Amino acid sequence: MPEGKFCNKKPVNTEEDLKSLLADKGGKQYYMEMAELEVDVQKLQDALRRTCASRTLTWLEICARCGMCAESCFFYRISNRDPEQVPAFKIQSTLGEIVRRKGNVDNAFMRRAMEYAWARCTCCNRCGMFCPNGIDTGVMFSYLRGLLYAQGFVPWELKIGAGMHRVYRAQMDVTSEDWLETCEWMVEENSETWPGLDIPVDRQDADIMYTLNAREPKHYPEDVAEAAILFHLAGENWTVPSEGWEQTSLAMFAGDWEACKLSVENVYAAIERLRPKRVIGTECGHAHRATVVEGPYWAGRPDGKPPTEYIHYVEWVAEALRTGKLKIDPDKKIKEKVTLQDSCNYVRNHGLAKYTREIMSYIVEEGCFVEMTPNREYNYCCGGGGGFNGIGLFRAQRNQALKAKRDQIAATKASLVIAPCHNCWDAIRDLEEEYRLGIRWTFLKPLLISMVIVPEHLAG
Amino acid sequence: MKQTLAFLAGPGLTAALLIFFCGLTFKLVWYFRGLDWRLERVAYRPQMSAGMAGGLHSIYRWLLPYGTHGWRSHPLLTLYFFLFHAGLVLLPPFLLGHTVVFGQIFGFSPPALPQLAGDVLAVLSLIGGLLLLLRRVSLPETRLLGTFSDYALSSIVLLVLVSGLLARMHTENYDLWLLLHIAAGELTLILAPFTKLSHMVLFFAARWQLGADYAVKRGGHRRGPCFPW
Repeated sequence: MPEGKFCNKKPVNTEEDLKSLLADKGGKQYYMEMAELEVDVQKLQDALRRTCASRTLTWLEICARCGMCAESCFFYRISNRDPEQVPAFKIQSTLGEIVRRKGNVDNAFMRRAMEYAWARCTCCNRCGMFCPNGIDTGVMFSYLRGLLYAQGFVPWELKIGAGMHRVYRAQMDVTSEDWLETCEWMVEENSETWPGLDIPVDRQDADIMYTLNAREPKHYPEDVAEAAILFHLAGENWTVPSEGWEQTSLAMFAGDWEACKLSVENVYAAIERLRPKRVIGTECGHAHRATVVEGPYWAGRPDGKPPTEYIHYVEWVAEALRTGKLKIDPDKKIKEKVTLQDSCNYVRNHGLAKYTREIMSYIVEEGCFVEMTPNREYNYCCGGGGGFNGIGLFRAQRNQALKAKRDQIAATKASLVIAPCHNCWDAIRDLEEEYRLGIRWTFLKPLLISMVIVPEHLAG
Repeated sequence: MKQTLAFLAGPGLTAALLIFFCGLTFKLVWYFRGLDWRLERVAYRPQMSAGMAGGLHSIYRWLLPYGTHGWRSHPLLTLYFFLFHAGLVLLPPFLLGHTVVFGQIFGFSPPALPQLAGDVLAVLSLIGGLLLLLRRVSLPETRLLGTFSDYALSSIVLLVLVSGLLARMHTENYDLWLLLHIAAGELTLILAPFTKLSHMVLFFAARWQLGADYAVKRGGHRRGPCFPW
């Protein structure tokens, strides 16, 4: 069968198409259509010719097939050392085959590749640190996702997610009006407790422009309020843009590079319009990856940098605590065993491990902070990264994948997990639901608000 | 046999070396010319000095036995690997017998290793290689991963070592072992640019790229001076 009504090679570009795709609950019809979807071999070959260059070809060619990547992969560890979960096997039997067969692959091949690309790899990039030949399989899986997306072989939720970015420039259907209303609502809601609280919108030349994750205004508006409260208490001159506030990119998880570009350009346009001294993104890992690490390249910026300095929330918190803009009440420091989740996207892939440790040193009573093993750059993915959390089709695999993190957390004997990343936070919530460790988990913002000393002139 | 031997040790060797050096040079040029800042999303040129430092550091650390988390997490494999490769890297250019041949053909030769060092390296290399092969056939993951070409190339290289050692011991069939040694050695040289043996140069290229990638894009100075390989 050629193109399906829902499952096809066309991205979702209109609100109407988005709504009808959403109405196909769970992607029932979508996946039925996928079983019949034809592979456009010519198009795949063109894509390989244009984008599969010496780095990828070399990676595929010189893989020594030594299996040194096996242990590095949490999927391998939690699946009873299944050889089919070894990163080298996973990529060689998917992307490797596509390249060797010069794109001559069929529907069944592509559906299997889809399962490998989204349910056997979260693009955490850990295996790349263990390969003597410097082969980063996570990078290749991300590339493979792009090839699969262009052929229509993408999990239903991520086709929707990419479509959301195309239609709303946000991962969820939050319009600028919705966003601004949330800001107003949160100020109203909290101004009694925090007199003078404000969320300044579109203020030019502020010291800070704040960007966030659409699910905050959509599902966790208190997160928006908490960000405002902390900036307020720190005395920051800050602002949010009315447009270009959404920093995430489900399009990146989907492999929809065009939508990635649209999204990040929207944020950069806000930066250029408001000319802040710097931009601070929320407690989200992939949003940081998408806007600060990969984003500049999607937007075609040759220096690989965003238009202005763009930092992660943990960098700001570390700085605010270091400089005394935020002061922690010593009596309120954390006195239970607490551990810290390193987000792959900004720790392994952006080197921010030292900032979160610095934060721990200010907010945790001495002796109460326990590192996971391994940690920092070598930490395992939460088990739900790279879009894995949100894919219904692969829910069972995702729940299995959480075991690595479950065991890591259990070994620390911590009762509280600090997870300054939405994806990690979700995964840890779900692993508690699934496996009942008896832990609590939290972002930094609510924790800080409960511990910070409120300057007298700001007290309600 | 004498004629074949004369051919292989003379024009044959020159041709094999020519293919080897030209082929691998081409591979390196092809690799670096193929790098694209938009595709890899790494600002190589604007951040060249950071990239260079990160790239070279990544090569250096992985050349040290047990110098990285990766090597340390596989202590035995690392031992086999370095035993195997030490001989393969040092013996072809520096073994006494080889330098004599180079001197005869080209009129100059690299300095030679002491004979004992050559012998020890060769034996250890053979042991390392055999252990690697044994590992490859005994672990479920490497059994699944290994292809015909992996086994074929390993066998050819092991043949070079075995035949070289037997010839060195001046056994009965000296001429046969020598012939086999030269033939397998030249086959290795000729195959290098066209197979994964090209890792002998592309290892450096790929390691450089990933090191540069981490230094330019994925953290760089925020992380500290170097990536914790």
